[in-house]
Amino acid sequence: MTTLSHAPASSRPIPNPKKSLITKLNMGTGIVVGVIFCWGTYFAMKAGRDMTDSHNVNKVLLMSMFAWSIGFLIGIGAFIGPFRWLIGKDLTDEEQLYLAVDGQGWKRYFKYCTDHKVVGIQYLVGVMALLGVGGTMAMMIRTNLATPGSHFVTPVVYNSLVGLHGITMIVAMIIVATGPFGNYIMPIMIGAADMAFPRLNALSWWVLFTAVPVLCSAWFLGGIPTGWTAYAPLSDQAGPGMNAFVATIIIFAVSTAVAGMNITTTVVAMRAKGMKWNRVPIFVIGATISVALAIPAFPTFMVAMIQTGLDRTIATGFYDANVGGSGWLYANLFWIMGHPEVYVILIPGVAALMEIAPVFVRKPLFSYNAAIAGFAGIAGLSVLVWAHHMYMAGWMPSLNGPFMVTTEFISVPTGLLFLVLIGTLWRGRPWMKLPMLCVYAFIWNFLIGGITGIYLSDVPADNYLHGSMYVTAHFHYTLMGAALTGAIGGLAYWFPKMTGRMLNERGGYISFWFIQIGFNVLFLGMFIVGAEGQPRRVADYAHLYSHANLISTMGAYSVGIGMIILLWAIVHSWRSGKIAPMNPWGAKTLEWTVPYPVPLVNFDQPPVVTSDPYGYGRSAK
Amino acid sequence: MAHDTEFHVHHDSPEAIGRRERLGVRLLIVADGAFLFGMIFSYFYLRNLNVNGGWLPKGVHSFSTASGWVAALGLIVAALAHRLGEYNKAARNLTAIVVLVALLIGGFYQWHQMAHMPFIAHDDAGRPFYNGAYASNWVLVAGANMFHYIVGAFVALGLLLRGYRVKLDPTLEEWRQRTAGSWFTWIAISGIVCALATSFK
Repeated sequence: MTTLSHAPASSRPIPNPKKSLITKLNMGTGIVVGVIFCWGTYFAMKAGRDMTDSHNVNKVLLMSMFAWSIGFLIGIGAFIGPFRWLIGKDLTDEEQLYLAVDGQGWKRYFKYCTDHKVVGIQYLVGVMALLGVGGTMAMMIRTNLATPGSHFVTPVVYNSLVGLHGITMIVAMIIVATGPFGNYIMPIMIGAADMAFPRLNALSWWVLFTAVPVLCSAWFLGGIPTGWTAYAPLSDQAGPGMNAFVATIIIFAVSTAVAGMNITTTVVAMRAKGMKWNRVPIFVIGATISVALAIPAFPTFMVAMIQTGLDRTIATGFYDANVGGSGWLYANLFWIMGHPEVYVILIPGVAALMEIAPVFVRKPLFSYNAAIAGFAGIAGLSVLVWAHHMYMAGWMPSLNGPFMVTTEFISVPTGLLFLVLIGTLWRGRPWMKLPMLCVYAFIWNFLIGGITGIYLSDVPADNYLHGSMYVTAHFHYTLMGAALTGAIGGLAYWFPKMTGRMLNERGGYISFWFIQIGFNVLFLGMFIVGAEGQPRRVADYAHLYSHANLISTMGAYSVGIGMIILLWAIVHSWRSGKIAPMNPWGAKTLEWTVPYPVPLVNFDQPPVVTSDPYGYGRSAK
Repeated sequence: MAHDTEFHVHHDSPEAIGRRERLGVRLLIVADGAFLFGMIFSYFYLRNLNVNGGWLPKGVHSFSTASGWVAALGLIVAALAHRLGEYNKAARNLTAIVVLVALLIGGFYQWHQMAHMPFIAHDDAGRPFYNGAYASNWVLVAGANMFHYIVGAFVALGLLLRGYRVKLDPTLEEWRQRTAGSWFTWIAISGIVCALATSFK
């Protein structure tokens, strides 16, 4: 890798490799080339095909979507580096400086920029947009469920809403912490000048970007009727909108593999001198375990999606029992990814809160080793529990017992995470800022999410609760109540470093209480109706459940209002908030030793680490 | 030129870059390995389940066991030739050509197989479909092999062309040879695993 150093920002001329193609490419050219590729492929493939045959329709649509993605990447210049490598004419120093686009203002956010800080901001804005879209769909779902017999949306649209809300939120939550903080903050935390592979870093973001319009196109192609799990053979038989789902997952899996490889390599190979493994900040450990878990997990989902795509386009029969296929194959492949994915989402959020807690109680992190053991234990066990999602599917009933045991075992490393957080808070004197409030909210929410999960891991209890609103409430308590709360805490904590301004405190507090109270009102009620038998993914319900559903919907509106206030606080603070000092929290990790704007290579001199990052109240060792 | 600006470019040591690139490629191999696991899991799962006798329905032709191994041969030859070039620098340009040719021939054979599949049937409306789960899995395995041939050929062509350029850092290029060696070894292993799997019909 080439690393870049800088002169003071005020005296910096922008490098201008005049003859290079890279100076002419940006998001606009990417969109133009992507659209040309997409429509070109569409019309070229459509010509002469019988478009009444669903296989042909799927073939044309799926290839057009991939053509969009590839075309966009060509148009933005993602393949210039590999092509130049191929012909042995590597990018010049000047071109690499240009790609880092330091000093080019807002335009750099719309280019194939290799600066990890720009990529981090791109991820942050992307995540907020995805959460906004997914959240709006959640509001529509809850509005429809406010009263029984509601016709706010039709059942078909409701089905699509549930599926698209699910997959949009899953994608957003997978990147919610590792995207913005893993890219912007993490390299600085470990004392690195950049990510290990800056061009691949940009690639991971822009590949993900191309998946967004593909996913959105599902609405215009009839939606997806399968829920986010896309179970076969329903997904084989679904309408054209399903192609958008298939293409999105395949594109997203590529992005995840590239990002996971990059983050893991950066942490393993680019830590500052003196940063031994036991001095690595816990957020970095958590993010690395998370992405390292994602590297082997997502390809199996990709296999499942490619098989779905082949069934839909060229009439293979992976999931068609008429020609030797089986829906259970899909369920296995999906959940082999699906359960680790829960922890891919959860771990970075928890790790961010573990980073926050010592700073705001001015105590060392309680049992750093237990935290690592907790993360590693969860990651290790997470690949051995997938069939608990299939207890009631009839697949291998003889394995239900073993899978119940492995699932319940996950409580042990999960308990370690609680131990670490509570041990850190114990007898501390908390500084009750927004990041710290998120720590307390996490403990409450994740306790409920975790305990209700034990019931679902139990085969007899799951026999009753399976497929009910109880399940929906449980996983929202873990994914939203825990992981998203962790990410919001992380945003409040690192906002000054990422934007140079303090997050508006009043807006932050108000949004926090709206979100947390609303969240608990929303999902606690859902446990009750779920336990009473209200099925999930159904647009209507019996009058018996009407009061609880109305209360849940009111909770959802409270969450929605809180999110809007949070968005306002972020935008307002970013534009005109109070200027942040270099280290507003008095934290000891390396990212707080650099000024804002963070220099191009982060540090004027490579830092040397001589102590652990949580040495509050004790001398350095 | 870079020195016309106030920017500077620091190049990390070739060893540091090389180690980093090798680790990155090995992590991608882990991802590809998980993909291979998913494919092999599918193959044996459906084979052992044999839903409605639909793994390889009566009267449906299959590829011979040997053809799976022939399809992997290009990957194996490429890996061996690359390894030879790593140890014998004097012969590196020659072995690089052998690697590329092996991958191109192997890739062509794989494409030819895919273009002449014996198990495509037609439904009542005359629309083609893959008759049996064996056929479905074979398509996926062949596609994965093809992907490896294409990526392998890209890497091989790059190494070949770069071998003729004198301005490149020799230490770093040496590391890249080794890193590419990890990839070529992996795709050969993957080809062997696929050939082994498809030997069980």
